[in-house]
Amino acid sequence: MRIGVLGVGKTPHKIQHDKSLRDLIVEAGRGAMDDAGVGPDDIQALYLGNVAAGGFNYENSIGLMGAHHLGIVPAPAVRVEAACGTGAWALHLGCVAIASGLYDTVMVLGAEKMNDLATVEGTSVIAQAADSKEEYFSGLTFPSGVALTARKYMQTHEVTEEDLAHTSVKNHYYGARNPSAHLRFECTVEEVMNSATVADPLKLYEVCPMTDAGSALVLCREEILREQADKPQVFITATQMATGTWYAVSDATDALKATSGRAYEMAGLTAADIDVAEIYNSFAIQEPLGIEALGFAERGEGWKGAADGSTWLDGDVAVNPSGGLLCKGHPLGATGSTQAVDIVEQLRGTAPEGMQRQDAEIGISACRGGPGSVGAVHIYQRLEG
Amino acid sequence: MTVSAIEYTRLGPPKLRLYAMRCSSCGKLSPWWEKNHCYECGGGDLTHEELAGGGEITNYTVVYYPPRDFLGQEPYVVGHIQMDEDVLLPAPVVDVAPDDVEVGTRVTSTLRRMKLGHEGDIYYGHKFVVE
Repeated sequence: MRIGVLGVGKTPHKIQHDKSLRDLIVEAGRGAMDDAGVGPDDIQALYLGNVAAGGFNYENSIGLMGAHHLGIVPAPAVRVEAACGTGAWALHLGCVAIASGLYDTVMVLGAEKMNDLATVEGTSVIAQAADSKEEYFSGLTFPSGVALTARKYMQTHEVTEEDLAHTSVKNHYYGARNPSAHLRFECTVEEVMNSATVADPLKLYEVCPMTDAGSALVLCREEILREQADKPQVFITATQMATGTWYAVSDATDALKATSGRAYEMAGLTAADIDVAEIYNSFAIQEPLGIEALGFAERGEGWKGAADGSTWLDGDVAVNPSGGLLCKGHPLGATGSTQAVDIVEQLRGTAPEGMQRQDAEIGISACRGGPGSVGAVHIYQRLEG
Repeated sequence: MTVSAIEYTRLGPPKLRLYAMRCSSCGKLSPWWEKNHCYECGGGDLTHEELAGGGEITNYTVVYYPPRDFLGQEPYVVGHIQMDEDVLLPAPVVDVAPDDVEVGTRVTSTLRRMKLGHEGDIYYGHKFVVE
């Protein structure tokens, strides 16, 4: 499979009190269309990822609203929702739509406007993405559910809190260099350890902020991109999704593991071929779990790369050179699409200074949602004529 | 697991007692009382079975930033309770200081008010206290 990436766009990732959800959608969507050199009339379908506008913004039918404000009516538009895997699911549907042959050019967009609510209200909205009866309305939140995962990981693999803190240090090193990131400061292991406890053993610097953002891609048939030889020839060569555990009682990586194996097979690649990876880490512990699920490290050893340098920019594989969700923030519906945009920038060689993996040709993005309910893996390759 | 006064009226056998569901195919217990599918073997025939209430904390966290419905209770403990009947339940552990909780602590279930709903409806659920 080769799905052409004709254009990408993204808004800043930060608290944006001056912008509404529709502002974010329009800014990201127009950015991607401008980059692609197409107009609204060229978009044949819109897949718009948004997790919780009903809770954050008191509005629904977001796909239809987005189509209207982007001017792509009467092309079909639909909202995609799959917890934190939403943006990746929209991307999957966009790829499937092109691969099916039904459409030539589609837009994939993710957007979330989270900061119209106070944190305590926002936390309650986010918690609805897990089982409301059995887990999260029993006083568990997403941070505390993941805290249970972190403690289990520490127990099982004899890993300390200091060991895990290196992941935040690495992400913040690159986040400080990402002009689009929400949190732009470097930190030390000691500063991570001394930051406030959110849900023991998770600390503040191991938790993503609530962020307003949108991001978008214009996808096309391979031939359309090939005809524009002056454009970077970046293609999506694998898209795989899976459903995994609905409860926080496991380490919640079964969906991601299932997905990564199928994705490598689809692209005809292995983990060793990957230059650069964007791995979901709304909480720091999810990065080592993702690294293991993608086959970059053995079980229980995914945390080591941040400590020994092998997952830094010039390591075996650059993991989250964008600063990850820990620094970009986690604008729920936009997270998966922003990962895709960031990888495309890496393969185009246009990532910001200090974030660019040298000669990156093959990239991967791994997104997840719910306690472990969504696994999403996409592989991207630069394949010049 | 929480149940509002309204939901209580449509509950089957459990009626707020501590139940799990046993798979008739493989015998594995699934948490709480609203399961239609066995994650162990894929069986679709599960029956209610009351638990004695005793168990052991196998994992826990202390919540410092609660959602709205739990404001004022922080810091509070939520644990994974391995029940004596061999099923894992996520649930709050109450009437104990967070520092006094550890993996291996024996606990027993107690029915408590869990929270107030948006319209003042009371939700009940099972919490655990140290034995």
